Amino acid sequence: MSLDKTIKGLKASFSKELSKSKTSQDLENFRIKYLGRNGQLALLFEEFNKLPTLEKPRFGKELNILKNQLTDQYQNALGNNSENSATSDVDFSLPGYDLPDGNIHPLEQITSEIKSIFQSIGFSVAYGPEIDDDYHNFEALNVPKYHPARDMQDTFFINPNAVLRTHTSNVQIHLMENQDPPLRHICCGRVFRNEAVSYKSFCLFNQVEGLVINETSSFAEMKGTLEYFVQEMFGKDTKMRFRPSYFPFTEPSAEVDIWNSKLNQWMEILGCGMVNPNVLSNVGYDNEKYQGFAFGMGIERIAMIKYGIKDIRLFYQNDKRFLEQF
Amino acid sequence: MKVSLHWLRRFVDFELTATELAEKLTMRGFESEVVSDFDSLENLVVGDVLTAEKHPNADKLKLCSVSDGSETFSVVCGAPNVDAGQKIVFAKVGAVLPGDFKIGKAKIRGIESFGMICSERELGISDEHDGIMVLDESHKAGTPIKKVLGPLFNAIDIEVTPDKAFALSHRGIAREVATIVGSKLKTPINSVKLNPKSKDVVSVKLDKKGGCTRYIAGTMKGVRVGPSPKWLAEYLKSVGQKSINNLVDISNFMLLEIGHPTHVFDLKKLAKPAVKVSWAKKGEKFDALDEETYELSTDHMVITDTKNTVALAGIIGGMDSSVTDSTTEVLIESAYFDPVVIRKGSKKLNLLSEASRRFERGTDPNAALEAFNMIVQLMQEVAGGTLESVITDECSMSLDSTSVDLSYEKLLKYAGQEIPLKDIESILKGLHIDAKKTKTGWSCSIPTYRTDLKVETDLIEEVFRCFGYDNIKSSFNYSSIMQYANDEESSISSLKHHLSSLGFHQSYNNSLEDFEEVKLFGKDAVSVMNPSSERMNTLRTTLHSGLLKNLDFNYRNGSANTLIYEHGNIFEGKTDKLEDIEQKSSLSCLVHGNVFAKNVHFDSIPASFSFLKGVALNIFEDKRLGLKVNFLQKKHHYCDPYFSIIDGKKQEIGGLGVINQSLLNKLDIAHKNEVVVLDVDTEIFKNYGSYSTKVEDIVTFPIVQRDLNFKMDSNIQVGDVVKAIKSVNQSILISVIPVDIYHSKKDKLSKDVLFSLNFQSSKKTLEDNDVNSIITDVIHLISKKYNAKLRDN
Repeated sequence: MSLDKTIKGLKASFSKELSKSKTSQDLENFRIKYLGRNGQLALLFEEFNKLPTLEKPRFGKELNILKNQLTDQYQNALGNNSENSATSDVDFSLPGYDLPDGNIHPLEQITSEIKSIFQSIGFSVAYGPEIDDDYHNFEALNVPKYHPARDMQDTFFINPNAVLRTHTSNVQIHLMENQDPPLRHICCGRVFRNEAVSYKSFCLFNQVEGLVINETSSFAEMKGTLEYFVQEMFGKDTKMRFRPSYFPFTEPSAEVDIWNSKLNQWMEILGCGMVNPNVLSNVGYDNEKYQGFAFGMGIERIAMIKYGIKDIRLFYQNDKRFLEQF
Repeated sequence: MKVSLHWLRRFVDFELTATELAEKLTMRGFESEVVSDFDSLENLVVGDVLTAEKHPNADKLKLCSVSDGSETFSVVCGAPNVDAGQKIVFAKVGAVLPGDFKIGKAKIRGIESFGMICSERELGISDEHDGIMVLDESHKAGTPIKKVLGPLFNAIDIEVTPDKAFALSHRGIAREVATIVGSKLKTPINSVKLNPKSKDVVSVKLDKKGGCTRYIAGTMKGVRVGPSPKWLAEYLKSVGQKSINNLVDISNFMLLEIGHPTHVFDLKKLAKPAVKVSWAKKGEKFDALDEETYELSTDHMVITDTKNTVALAGIIGGMDSSVTDSTTEVLIESAYFDPVVIRKGSKKLNLLSEASRRFERGTDPNAALEAFNMIVQLMQEVAGGTLESVITDECSMSLDSTSVDLSYEKLLKYAGQEIPLKDIESILKGLHIDAKKTKTGWSCSIPTYRTDLKVETDLIEEVFRCFGYDNIKSSFNYSSIMQYANDEESSISSLKHHLSSLGFHQSYNNSLEDFEEVKLFGKDAVSVMNPSSERMNTLRTTLHSGLLKNLDFNYRNGSANTLIYEHGNIFEGKTDKLEDIEQKSSLSCLVHGNVFAKNVHFDSIPASFSFLKGVALNIFEDKRLGLKVNFLQKKHHYCDPYFSIIDGKKQEIGGLGVINQSLLNKLDIAHKNEVVVLDVDTEIFKNYGSYSTKVEDIVTFPIVQRDLNFKMDSNIQVGDVVKAIKSVNQSILISVIPVDIYHSKKDKLSKDVLFSLNFQSSKKTLEDNDVNSIITDVIHLISKKYNAKLRDN
């Protein structure tokens, strides 16, 4: 369509000439040439009137748009030329708006990171109560009353039979009581220990624990799973080791250390082991048929290693100067 | 437990240094740290103190000249016992002492010091730090210290896990070392039964209810209390223990040697040479060896001489029957006590002793007799006594080894890989477990000291542990991966990210708070029975308390502008019964100060009630929730005003309020503006992801906008007027927004409110007439209902 071309050409020459029009006289001449009563735009509208009715709606719309565009461009140019123009006052060196800067707490960030690593290998996430009975926190986990292993976790009691959970393992018991194998879960949340508050221990901390139960999951698979986790979390080159340890709810048990090349020493990051058959029978699983592994880690500890934080209390002080760094 | 390499060598020959031994034991499940490894210490030599004079600038310091055999150094020393002519441990510049303590050149009170004279504590030998360690004069200056102190004082510290009762002695650890290095265990003292001088018999009566199932007793006469021989004192010293006298030392030595606790009574202080094991009377007072008086209960097992309580069984001896310098006749006890009885008794009194630690973990019943025989021999040798009575051995328990089956198939299934038969057999043999082949694996005879080996998995653990966890190759079967279920908190997590991008900081506060403070929030709180401090004795009933503390902390540290939130559990309970306690996931926000501070672009924008109301609308009217909310004012314990946030089904899904001044004052929360809180019921977000958005057609017809300015009473709520205007038309009046409120200075009783009304139809372009009739209705209604006057625009 020739009219299409004309519109395009008009747009181009309009912009070109407008940019050359510096003085107010130039601009006035320009206005008359293009936007005046007998200007180029008016001519276009005349041509438009001659169009067949069928084509009118389409060009009508386009011409209106064109008219608005050209008028706006001309007005802008006029404004720029004027000494009273608002834009000439803009100081582009001024700071931008200081938008409020929020954050996700570092412990939450680490928890999410751990969650997504395990989710990527098929783990579901489970939650459970922070106050629980002695049975779910201890006895079902193969820690009878008056067992020396109770000393491993100093406990806050709500009443002689209810405790602030000392680990999220209680969630594993609830899970197994309500679900048959196979299981592949992590549990996360707050746990409490009746320890003196200092730079390295607090009365509570956050934990992520995992549980895998089926007919075949072995020690070798546990090692493979946790190696995958450590490499995802701390980097592919992370040196790690499994060393024998003791937890009442797993056997054989291990602790996992990673090598800290800055401090030149091993650092303990998690505990794990094959689920003790007594735990499986306590929840009514056939412990001849099913086996599996469990593991657990403290989020604060991992965050401290990862971010180089030296005082655990910082996590619970909520000093903006600390939080803003995440 | 501190373990001396010198002592271990009584039982097993090995070449390892302390550092190597610690590493090997750690990888066997005995987490060990080096206490002192003199083999690794450089620049540490025997020094000869040539002169020791007062430091010219300090009364308590001495300026010494120390020779290392070839050179003489000037050294400042703070120890009162340093003197000329002593042979001492000299740490030269460049030495690194245990605990990574580096010795450098130092200027002390204006005088340069080249090195340090060491105390026992600095060398990791003992806690002794009152003075420097003085060496035997026979040592030559310049001799490396590893040659002088190494043989005796190389030591490691082992954290023995609660299951491994057998490892709480040098013999126990030596057994493990023997399997590591593959050498034989030696027997430094034979357990030989000695013949008594007389036919006297110590009568021993055990309680029928159990608690003590073996009690061995005998008396010795002619004992002479005195200093211990050098070899005995040195063994104790090698683990940092002081020598007291020969009798006490023997008992301590036996404990650390084979791990079986024994007790020695002064025979003359007993009513008669007889023992009755029974239960304490309720409220019975007992004066113990540690100079404390304990109140006992019927759970406590006691040893009596048929008249008086002379010992708290398995925990601690009595003051009145203890040996002293004038003791000449003794009664020796070596017994087996039930772990649970000892554990209960010790917990109840919060009294933990070396003896109770071993009994509560389970001792070897056979070691009771060994310990008895060995102690008698040592007494004869060291204190000169002789066995007087026949040895009484009351025993009501089995002393035989137990048998546990181990299936080869099960072991391999647990491992997830092949472990050769011969490796398993040699591991079991190394552990002194007698394994007889069966059809499916082995029938294992467990030595009685391995109280931890009761079931098959105990043996699997032993095999893995000794085979080496490193030798089990990791495998990871991706084909077994299951699809994971939706994380119920993932939608709350996206809410948190949303808040954070609005400028909020996420807090993590302590769940434990001060009861006196929790009380102020007016709910039934749940308290802890055994708090570590009064300031943390009660569980939080709201997240507001923690958030207020965060406001206060940051305000006092120079940051008044606070936008924070926390997501966590809160607790309420009418009683401390579990079924009465409600544990609820909760999310609250708190704002104070400004969202934007005043700046070159615009005035400050306060973090006000209206700001947080906007946040609430932003959260709750999220498209994915598909909710329309209302704010309904209600009474609140510490907020004024407080509004429930109600959804379309009239359910309370949140709340918004201003914390009242009275609470802020009581808690002494630093602030200068209103403190506003928002509570969000996280439950409604749990299904967040499953809400589906249905796209509506975009209306292309133009919006017609009209402004109406009303003058009305100043106490009329603008929100009510907006609702009234909206009620006039539901089809084309699409929004009513108050855009300006003007309070005249002259007329305080009224205000002008400018409303902006938007009209749009989905069917056609609106004509003036369509809008005008509605405008007329609006003016009519508002004028009548609120006695408002339309003003000219």
